[in-house]
Amino acid sequence: MIYNTYDVIVVGAGHAGIEASLAASRMGAKTLMLTLNLDHIGQMSCNPAIGGIGKGHLVKEIDALGGEMARAIDETGIQFRMLNTKKGPAVRASRAQADKALYRQQMKRVLENCPNLALRQGSVERLLVEGGEAKGVETQIGEIFYGRRVILTTGTFLKGLIHVGDRNYSAGRAGDFAVQGLSDSLNELGFKVGRLKTGTCPRLDGRTIDYARLQAQYGDDPPIPFSFSTEKISQRQIPCHITYTNSRTHEIIKSAIHRSPMYSGIIKSRGPRYCPSIEDKVVRFADKERHQIFLEPEGADTVEVYPNGLSTSLPLDVQIEMVRSIQGLERAEIMRPGYAIEYDYVEPTQLYPSLETKLIKGLYHAGQINGTTGYEEAAAQGLMAGINAVLSLRGKEPTILARDKAYIGVLIDDLVTKGTDGEPYRMFTSRAEYRLLLREDNADLRLTDLGYKVGLATEEAYRLSEDKKGRVAGLIEALENSRINPALEINARLESLGSAPLRGQSSLAQLLRRPEISFSDLVLFAPEFAGVSASLGLQAEVEIKYSGYVQRQMEGVKRFRKIEAVRLPADLDYMAIAGLSHEVREKLTLIRPCTLGQAARISGITPAAISLLSVYLKKQMVA
Amino acid sequence: MYQEDTIAAVATPMGEGGVAIVRVSGPDAERIAREIFARSGGRNGRLRTHTLHYGTICEPKTGEVLDEVLLTLMRKPRSYTGEDVVEVHCHGGPFLVRRILELILSRGARHAEPGEFTKRAFLNGRLDLAQAEGVLDLIRARTEKGMRLALGQVRGGLSRWIGELREDLLEILVQVEAAIDFPEEEIELLQRDQLAAKTEALRGKIAELIGSYEWGRLFRDGARVCIAGKPNVGKSSLLNALVGEERVIVTEVPGTTRDVVEESINLGGLPVALWDTAGIRRTDDQVEKISVHFTRKRIAEADAVLAVLDGSCPFSPEDRAILESLKEKKVLIAINKSDLSPRLDMRELTGLGYKETMLISAKEDFGLDHLKQELRSLLLGVEIEPQVALTNLRHKAALERAQASLNEALKTLSRSLPPEFVAVDLRDAKEGLEEVIGVISNDDILKRIFDQFCVGK
Repeated sequence: MIYNTYDVIVVGAGHAGIEASLAASRMGAKTLMLTLNLDHIGQMSCNPAIGGIGKGHLVKEIDALGGEMARAIDETGIQFRMLNTKKGPAVRASRAQADKALYRQQMKRVLENCPNLALRQGSVERLLVEGGEAKGVETQIGEIFYGRRVILTTGTFLKGLIHVGDRNYSAGRAGDFAVQGLSDSLNELGFKVGRLKTGTCPRLDGRTIDYARLQAQYGDDPPIPFSFSTEKISQRQIPCHITYTNSRTHEIIKSAIHRSPMYSGIIKSRGPRYCPSIEDKVVRFADKERHQIFLEPEGADTVEVYPNGLSTSLPLDVQIEMVRSIQGLERAEIMRPGYAIEYDYVEPTQLYPSLETKLIKGLYHAGQINGTTGYEEAAAQGLMAGINAVLSLRGKEPTILARDKAYIGVLIDDLVTKGTDGEPYRMFTSRAEYRLLLREDNADLRLTDLGYKVGLATEEAYRLSEDKKGRVAGLIEALENSRINPALEINARLESLGSAPLRGQSSLAQLLRRPEISFSDLVLFAPEFAGVSASLGLQAEVEIKYSGYVQRQMEGVKRFRKIEAVRLPADLDYMAIAGLSHEVREKLTLIRPCTLGQAARISGITPAAISLLSVYLKKQMVA
Repeated sequence: MYQEDTIAAVATPMGEGGVAIVRVSGPDAERIAREIFARSGGRNGRLRTHTLHYGTICEPKTGEVLDEVLLTLMRKPRSYTGEDVVEVHCHGGPFLVRRILELILSRGARHAEPGEFTKRAFLNGRLDLAQAEGVLDLIRARTEKGMRLALGQVRGGLSRWIGELREDLLEILVQVEAAIDFPEEEIELLQRDQLAAKTEALRGKIAELIGSYEWGRLFRDGARVCIAGKPNVGKSSLLNALVGEERVIVTEVPGTTRDVVEESINLGGLPVALWDTAGIRRTDDQVEKISVHFTRKRIAEADAVLAVLDGSCPFSPEDRAILESLKEKKVLIAINKSDLSPRLDMRELTGLGYKETMLISAKEDFGLDHLKQELRSLLLGVEIEPQVALTNLRHKAALERAQASLNEALKTLSRSLPPEFVAVDLRDAKEGLEEVIGVISNDDILKRIFDQFCVGK
């Protein structure tokens, strides 16, 4: 028997486990990372990409707080694209294709070089708990590790069951063992454990794809990095390709639909609606003539290709026929079949916003165990769990990001307040009430100081972000004060930009308020601003151009903060509050919201119940 | 575990009446009923729910029979409050009703606060906010029509209507949000001008609903109509004729009416308070001066003015002064004493802009039905009955907020700003609508996107 004692034990080495381990060890805690397979650290089980709308926002926030994901993708990305460029700055988002193997190696290297961090291979089967507190973990070979804080980041591994057609087998993901005992251990401790489903695409051999007949999609040139600390992306960039399903593909799928485990009734849990399998798309949107497929390379040094849009759990013979009905894929060979996977998760309403479980002190959950999907969602939770585990070791208050502060705050608040509602949770910008304020471009200004305060963001990053705040304010003032006159050449330039001529003297800021004028256009009128960096110019432009809307969101934030500031005592007896309905009392007792604002967001809690609650609290304070 | 307590109150108005109802709601309602109620035929045991039981109310200690009653038990959740409810239908004497209530209170119930049954219904999810407010309107409704409007609200008429408006809004919002969160998907979205057209249409519907507030308010609170004119044109006679009773002293002496006299009439379901006022003229009589002052005040407060002229006299400067002072009001001109030979020059009236006048005779009961119809139309504007009418100021304010936000959305659309800015306005509008019915959920939008579009790679 080996007995070791750690400050923090992280179970799992996926995207949540990595951020949790790095955060804890970088903050100075003696940390252990336990994984089933040390060769699969940072594996991308599904698509080879990081970012996307809402997700890119999360990655930028992780970076500002001092996390690793942004830097790793900057090192290993093979195609970078900014999405939503035709829309406003708040919803522009970064996305990059990753070289999967390089990404794993990069993450393993960073972990191995991190002081205070031990990496061990082992399958955790049991949680050790004493007097309601987490004490450590036990592996399947009886190895015991003691830890004062335990963070579970189990991904799809808890009782993972893979389905292809009517066949199924136990696995955490294709090629990895599942973990059988841990969810029983959680169940015995009193946790509500549920089951979710997700799926992935077959992988194709790129040498058998006829790219000549397909449309290529190139990344941005130059590629724009994720991390605020990355200067430049210099590795070689690779295009993706686009193809489409057709009526024959749909026929093949429809005639074999009874052989899909989702439709034959073998799988009972619901899959994510925003990540539907191809059979789902064909059945639910029968009148759609074709579906888009992105062929994404899995790396620079492999022939494997990920046909994004073809997630399926149909039997292999149908998968082959279906793939070969698609243009450019007529001779394509499948290297790994697509599959669906069911796994155990733990209902996240059983967590505090710190991600500590309410049931077991010192136990934290992050990532897919909380019913989320996505590498970015997982990493964000891992980071926060790591931070809060160490803060609690030191007897400090946890770091809770509010909904007006970060997408990470929206994510965690949604999870612990509303739960998953039977479907894996994915981030979208429409989930954020204060979307205009939570932009990728200002993630550093929003969060670096916090990351620095907890000891993760570097001193330099902190200094840079503070400096940027000051310079943005200075630039806005300068633009408000610079005047231009309606001279002929000025108006001619305006006209060439499709903008109305000036009638009288105007400030540059006024000019910038016109939708068609961007900060870079201003240089035409005022060359003295030519040296201003693009990122600084964008901040000033957003604040000036959209000030009315930003102002309105700020007012919303003020109202939000007021109700959010009312704290609900942890031991509040909801059953004793007269006038609350039974249903409301039970929900409040179950979720135990930390603030009045959180209570108001629980589904089924009426505005009247919130008024009653606030009256009750006021009475208590007087008494 | 804590339980809601049991409340009781008399549900019918106090005072003598044929039947009164005492209502009990809460976990002890059934126990109390069984303690004080003896079913006829001496049958005991469990009371069937949603059934009228005939029997007597007895004081359990003395065995004294208080009254013969009908009693009904409605077990939760199928009751008004969502809790167990017992209703005792007893004879209506105030003393008797009070004794039955006291008996119930002595068995462990608490006297309900005003509106508490409705509050519980709301908190138990039996009524939404708009419905709960409708109940209060219903209790205060003054005519059949007012009651119907309120009843419509209780049954969810307004909530359903707002719900439909919210659906319309979500349909627009889904387009906008899908464009933001799923730019890479091949989904067909509405263009800017189509979005604007839909937004405009919705704004129109909301404006219409806001417009119905005035309509709803008149039915709920009643309209106020001031009868005005110079002395001795027959204002009091007209009031008496409209009410159908001799309520005001009528003499030949000008200036007899000094106080403002108020009478209620029902104009085809519209409750109207008619104010008979002192005639307006220049006078040195101090008392009359004060009366004239009050008359002017009443005119200012009234929803409409019934201006009475004497058809048997020539048009006078006093008539002119009065009519000119009514320029800002809704006015109906009644030319009284049309049974006498006409001496009033109608051209004077057309000169003042009053094209339509009504000839009546209060004394001979001539033209009064027509007058009532005209007055009703004047008060209500168009006679088309809105499908739902707003009767509550809070609802109106929330809808005005929604309307203002939609105006902003239209501006944002016309300025070609990106969709996330349009979304700010539309979400504000959504909050305005939800303020009326009390739904708050962000998840609806995503759910709709997934239902409507094939998204997700």
